[in-house]
Amino acid sequence: MTASIRSDLLKWLIAPLVVINFIGALLIYMLAWGPAQDALDDNLAEAAYDLQAHLRLNGERVELDLSDQAERILRINRTDEVFYVVRDAAGNTIAGDIDFPMFAPYTASQMAVPFMSNVRQFHVRAVALRTEVGAHQLWIGVAETLTKRRQIQSRILFALVGLETLLLVASLAIIWFAVSEGLFPLQRVRNLLDERNAGDLSAVEEKDMPSELRPLLGAINGLLGRVHKFGRERQAFLADIAHQLRTPLAGFKTQLEVLSARHDRDPDVARSAALMMASADRMIRQTNQLLSLARAEPSQFEQRRMERVELDKLMTESIQHFVQEADKKAIDIGFELQPASVMGDRFLLRDMIDNLVDNAIRYSGPSAEITVACHCDADGDVVRLIVEDTGPGIPPADREKVFDRFFRLSDKEQGSGLGLAIVRDIAKDHQASISLESGADGKGTRVTVEFASARPMSAGTKLHDASMHERA
Amino acid sequence: MAQAACRIPVQPIPVHKMHVLLVEDDVVLADGISRVLKGYGMVVDVTSSGTEADELLKRREVAVLVLDIGLPGIDGFEVVRRLRARGSNLPVLLLTARDAVEDRVRGLETGADDYLVKPFAAPELAARIRALVRRSGARPAELTMMGLSLDTHAKRARVNGEVVELSAREWAVLEYLMQQASRVVSKEQILDAILPWGEGLTLNAVEVYVSRIRTKIAGAGIVIRTIRGFGYMLEASKE
Repeated sequence: MTASIRSDLLKWLIAPLVVINFIGALLIYMLAWGPAQDALDDNLAEAAYDLQAHLRLNGERVELDLSDQAERILRINRTDEVFYVVRDAAGNTIAGDIDFPMFAPYTASQMAVPFMSNVRQFHVRAVALRTEVGAHQLWIGVAETLTKRRQIQSRILFALVGLETLLLVASLAIIWFAVSEGLFPLQRVRNLLDERNAGDLSAVEEKDMPSELRPLLGAINGLLGRVHKFGRERQAFLADIAHQLRTPLAGFKTQLEVLSARHDRDPDVARSAALMMASADRMIRQTNQLLSLARAEPSQFEQRRMERVELDKLMTESIQHFVQEADKKAIDIGFELQPASVMGDRFLLRDMIDNLVDNAIRYSGPSAEITVACHCDADGDVVRLIVEDTGPGIPPADREKVFDRFFRLSDKEQGSGLGLAIVRDIAKDHQASISLESGADGKGTRVTVEFASARPMSAGTKLHDASMHERA
Repeated sequence: MAQAACRIPVQPIPVHKMHVLLVEDDVVLADGISRVLKGYGMVVDVTSSGTEADELLKRREVAVLVLDIGLPGIDGFEVVRRLRARGSNLPVLLLTARDAVEDRVRGLETGADDYLVKPFAAPELAARIRALVRRSGARPAELTMMGLSLDTHAKRARVNGEVVELSAREWAVLEYLMQQASRVVSKEQILDAILPWGEGLTLNAVEVYVSRIRTKIAGAGIVIRTIRGFGYMLEASKE
C-alpha cells in the first residue's frame, strides 16, 4: 500500500478521538446514573423505614401491623413490582414475601443498605435494614424490579449516544477539512509542476509556500538546477563540437571550390570535386542539424530568448541559400511572403525554415516547384508558415512518422532523418502546430506551421502577464 | 548542375583591385579563402594572429577586413574594438563558427559591419565583401561580367563592346544587380538602391525596368533570373 500523509494524519487523529469520546461517554454515563440510582435507592429506603414504623410487639411475637390498603399502596407502583419481607434473627419470615432472598450480610448497620438480587424470576434492586423491636433483632427488606431504572438508564444512554455521534461527526468533518487544508500546498506544488512545459526547468517559486514545504522545494529546485545545468553543459559541449567541426569544414569546402574552379574543364576532376562537394555539404548539414537539435530540444529551450521575430524578414536571410540549393536540382522555388510576426527564438525559427525548405528541395525531385509562404490571417491572430512542393508527396500512413527522429521515407536520398524532427521540436518550443497534407490538386506535400501571432508590444506584454497569473 | 554551382566566376573584376586583410588561424581555411578571393580579383593579405592583425592595421591601408572571431592572442572582437577605438571606419566582416545570439550581438555591438557563419559558399563571401566595400563608398570604376561591362563613372554600359542606351533608372537597376551579381535581391532592395530615381515607383515598375534591361543586354551571356514572389538574381548564363 502506498504511504499517504492524509491517511496517516486521519488515522492518528481519528482513532484516538474515537477512544477518547468513548471513555468520555462512559464517564458521563456514570456521572449521570449515579445520582439517579441514589435517589431511587432512597425511595426504597423510605419504604423500609415506613415498614419499620409499622412493627408492633404483640406479647412475645413481633407483628407487622399493615392494613390491606397500606400494603397495596406499598406494593403497587406505576412501573415496577415491589417485594418486601420482615425476618427475625433466625431467618423466619414474619411478614411479606417468603421467597425474598437472604440478605443478612448487608445488614451490619441500622442504615438501609442497597444491593442487587433476584426475587423469583425478577432481577431486583433491594435495600436491607436492621432494626430492633423490644429484644428482637429484625431485618426488613424491600425490593423492586428494575423497569424504572432501566428506563432511566436507556434515556441517559440514548441522549449520550446522540450527543456523542453528533460530536464525533463534527470532529471528523473538522479533521478532514483541516487535513485537506493542511495538504493543499502540496497539491499546489503538484499543480505548479504539472502545468509546466516539457522543457521548463526553472525553479519553483518558494515565496508563498509554508515553511515546512520550503526545504523540500529547495531540494526540488536544487535538482532542477542541476538537471538544467547538466543540459546546458551538454548543449555547450555539442555546440563546441559543431564549432570545432565548422572551421575545418569551411576550409575543406573552400579548398574544394578553388580546386573545382581551376579544373572545371577536366570532367574527371570536376566529377570528383562535385562528389566531394556534395559530401562536404552533407557533413555541414549534419553538423548544423546536430547544433539545431541541441538547441531545439524542449528541455533546453529558454523562454528568455523569445523575442518578436518577423518571419518574412527572417526568410529573406535564407533565400540566397534556398535558391542555390534549388538550382542544384533544377527546382523552381518561389515565395509568397507577407508581413507576419511571431514571438520566438530567431535562430531556432531560422533552423525550422531551413529544415523545411531543405527537406522540400531534397525530396521533391528535379523540376518540381516549391513555394514558401508566410502570412497572418485576417483577424491577425494566427501566423502560418507554409512550404509546399509538387514532389512525390508523403503517403498518409507515413505522415505522422516523418516527424520521428531518424525516420526516412526512402533510402534513395541521403538524409539524416532529423530535419522534420527538428522542425517538430522547434514548433513545440513555440507552441506552434504542424500539419502535413497533400498540396494543391492532391499532389506533392504541404507543410503548414501555425503560430500565435505576436501582437504589438503592449498587448503582448499583457498576454504574458495573464499567463503568469494563471500559473500563480 | 553541381559543377555549375561550384564554379567560381572569375568576373566581375574591378579595375581598381580590392585589398583585403584576412585574419584566420585555420591554415587550410585561410589558404582557401585567400585563393578564392584572389580568384575574384582581390588582393589578399593573410595573418593568423589577432595581435599581428592589430599591428598591420595600424600601418597598412586596406579596403576591407575579414576577421575570424576565435583567434589566438587577442580575439576578433578585441581587434575590432581597437580598430574602432582608433577611429577607423574600415568595413569589417566577421567570420564565426558559432551562431549564438551572444556572438552576433557582441560582434555587431563591437563595431563589425557584417558576419558570416562558417562554413560558407565562396560566392557568398565574395558578395558580402563587395557589398561592404560598396557601402563604404569605394566604388570600383568598372563592373564586368561575361560580355557585359559597366563604366560606373561615365554611367555607360557595353554589351560585347557595343554601347547600350539605358535610361537613368534602367542604369541604376542594372548597376545594382551587377554589384549584387549572383545574389538574390528583392524588388524592395532594388527600389531602395535606385533612390532617388526610384522615388514614387511601385514594385511593378521594377518589373518593367528589369524586363527592358533583359532585352537590352541580351547576348551578353548574362541572365536576370526571376525569383518567384521575391525578386531577381543576375548571374552568368549557364548555356
